[in-house]
Amino acid sequence: MKKIFSKGLVSAGLALAIGAASMFASPANAVAADSYPDKPITIVVPFPPGGSTDLLARKIGEALSSSLGQPVVVENRGGAGGTVGANYVAKSDPDGYTLLMGVTGSNAISAALRDDLPYSPVTDFDPVSIVISSPLVLVVREDSDFKSVQDVIAYAKANPEYFTHGTPGVGTSMHMTGELFGLESGTKLLHVPYKGSAAALQDLLGGQINAMFGDILVTSEYVKSGDLRPLAVTGTKEHFLLKGVPTIAEAGIDGFAAFSWQGVFAPAGTPTAVLDKLYTAVSAALETDALKEVFAQRGFLVEGMNPADSKAFIASEVDKWTKVVEAAGLKK
Amino acid sequence: MSEFLANIQLGLSTALSAEALLFCFLGVTVGTVVGVLPGIGALAAISLALPLTYYLDPTTALIMLAGIFYGAQYGGSTASILLNLPGTATSAITCLDGYPLAQQGKAPLALFVTAINSFVGSSFAIVLVMGFAPLIAGFALKFSSTEYFSVMLLGLVAASTLSVGSPFKALAMVVFGIVLGQVGTDVNTGMFRFNFGILELADGFGLVAVAMGLFGVAEIMANVGQASGAPMGVKGIRFKDMLPSRSEWKEIWKPTLRGSVIGSFVGALPGTGPGIASLMAYAAEKRLSRDPSQFGKGSLAGLSAPEAANNASVQAAFIPTLSLGIPGDAVVAVLMGAMILHGITPGPNLINDQPTMFWGLIMSFWIGNLMLLFLNIPLIGLWVRLLSIPYRLLYPAIILFICIGVYSADNNVFDIYVVLAFGLIGYAMRKFSYPATPVLLGFILGPLLEEHFRRAMLLSHGDLTIFLQRPISLVFLLISLMFLGSVFMPGLRSKLVSRVRRNAPSDDAD
Repeated sequence: MKKIFSKGLVSAGLALAIGAASMFASPANAVAADSYPDKPITIVVPFPPGGSTDLLARKIGEALSSSLGQPVVVENRGGAGGTVGANYVAKSDPDGYTLLMGVTGSNAISAALRDDLPYSPVTDFDPVSIVISSPLVLVVREDSDFKSVQDVIAYAKANPEYFTHGTPGVGTSMHMTGELFGLESGTKLLHVPYKGSAAALQDLLGGQINAMFGDILVTSEYVKSGDLRPLAVTGTKEHFLLKGVPTIAEAGIDGFAAFSWQGVFAPAGTPTAVLDKLYTAVSAALETDALKEVFAQRGFLVEGMNPADSKAFIASEVDKWTKVVEAAGLKK
Repeated sequence: MSEFLANIQLGLSTALSAEALLFCFLGVTVGTVVGVLPGIGALAAISLALPLTYYLDPTTALIMLAGIFYGAQYGGSTASILLNLPGTATSAITCLDGYPLAQQGKAPLALFVTAINSFVGSSFAIVLVMGFAPLIAGFALKFSSTEYFSVMLLGLVAASTLSVGSPFKALAMVVFGIVLGQVGTDVNTGMFRFNFGILELADGFGLVAVAMGLFGVAEIMANVGQASGAPMGVKGIRFKDMLPSRSEWKEIWKPTLRGSVIGSFVGALPGTGPGIASLMAYAAEKRLSRDPSQFGKGSLAGLSAPEAANNASVQAAFIPTLSLGIPGDAVVAVLMGAMILHGITPGPNLINDQPTMFWGLIMSFWIGNLMLLFLNIPLIGLWVRLLSIPYRLLYPAIILFICIGVYSADNNVFDIYVVLAFGLIGYAMRKFSYPATPVLLGFILGPLLEEHFRRAMLLSHGDLTIFLQRPISLVFLLISLMFLGSVFMPGLRSKLVSRVRRNAPSDDAD
């Protein structure tokens, strides 16, 4: 917590400086907000093309470009779990022409986990909207002895660090969800990090690890084929791609909830008028059939939070994961 | 059997439609071109082309993207052979014997042979994909980190005597490569290490940047000041110059088949790739050769095995992808992303749920590879003529392509500095005659060894005997031991070889 505050102070100082600078430029900004956008907008995706963030950004980009009347370009700047792209946008001009498609890892967990992060998800961004959320699902192999969340808890209590769960890497939402599960159930799972979710899935299918907190869409294919069995979803209600599967809260850990989410972010200091204009366009986009189809197919839940709610949400997420990181002793 | 034939017919009807043929041709052509151009590889090209396919039918989109992927493996060897500059990071090994062949005036022959190797390697793996994909994928699932570690160890041991010259320098360079591979993120703790606070280094150095720097930029720097190319006396190319003689055919067919087998095996294992496949195939060939001293001086066996292997590996990478939904390597992972974008989630049901797509894609592999064969052989004359372009025009263009290639991977300027820095390192290494291939070897295998060793330890709770308890792992460790034995007991080996020769004198009469 202390670390966050000290970093917050530095960033707050920066924000003040930027604020002061923008005061001098305020007449120009007002004009800019009126005519915004008068040139192409770039949405930075902090991952290589082909992933779910890329898909979402491109679909939102298409909708924005038709409603705002300017081309929207998606630029993939992958690296370091999304932090390279996020850092690039954090340091860009706050004029609304460079936006970020940020995710749980790049815009919340990274702040909780890393002292050497060169930006702050809380003070260096003005969120436009947290667009979607997506719970995870705890899956085991079909032939596994674990039939329920209670089975997992009982085993993990009796055998600390022997229940293995695979994740795409340290600091991903899958990893943090596993840590949260351990904390709230009073157990110690063994975290097995991989480079990417496909490698973890491979080892789960091969029976090398016990379980995974996996992506709903990807794992539902293996549930359908009878290779994997879902034990519970991490959200607050039943998920439409996994009918009949309980939530972890229903299965015995009261109040448990963990999501991954994605949202559109602008650099801190972006004029309010520009943020509002973007938010209006994004919310309208969420109502289009093209996006509804993507959500249904990908298993996303629509959030569409406004800028103020999004900002508060990010602060609460950073806080939540900072507590998990500290309680689990992940920062050595 | 009738079902199999029906599937083939279904696939052909998809793959032979005018649209599919057009986009297949487009894909393999783009693939060949990006393969030939140093620095721009399949990953960059597919990433760039992916958004363009959003508006295509999913099967057509995949046919085109896959075409870029395997097409690049055909083109990759061209620049390695002609200019000693690898066209893709994975064809660096082709420089070792391809370039000496070109220096002997045999560039047309070398290019023809690699086209044949590529075709044979691909065909071998496509047959496996058609007949045995679910079976092989099931076997690949048995590979846990323990087995991966032993396979990678074998790769490192087998390849440790890759290059010509001082073995100590080669060993030092393997270690240098392993050290370079340590930069990045610690998989188990997630902490950044040796990145000097540079966020761009948190994923380590890029393979493309390292390979293009050490091989490409360094080669160009070493040749600065030479007025022109064409030192090889290339004039008109006749078809006769390309065709191998009888004895040359004899020299290449076994290595090509062995390369195909090794490549298919490595390719079917998720998380590996054509780079590892060609390194392993080259190393195995050199070990099996009766005259390893020819390797690095223009050996056709040393050219054929890795070329067959990288193509086989690329096609075999579709085995886990299409039958399990687990990508065989980084490029296939992008292809899988393309499927998801089009509403097809790859998983164990893909072959049954999407038979049109699966069989259409497989049959397009045949069509695409045939196109590549007939595209590449007439192009040999054109490529060889590249050599008559003066260096003062050719080299700046190549540097530009390298910069575009590494930049386009992540749209990050930092990667260009990395490639230039490795160019300087590679130049210095050349001046003091330190070989570059072992660096690449250590750089590719080192991090994999570490990752799998540590995961194996995590899962076995620190029990080292796990490597001996699991039978597949044990087998690979024993083969590694045999390799080591053959290094340390050269006397014994030469005795064995001479005995084999005495017993089978007719085998290599010419």
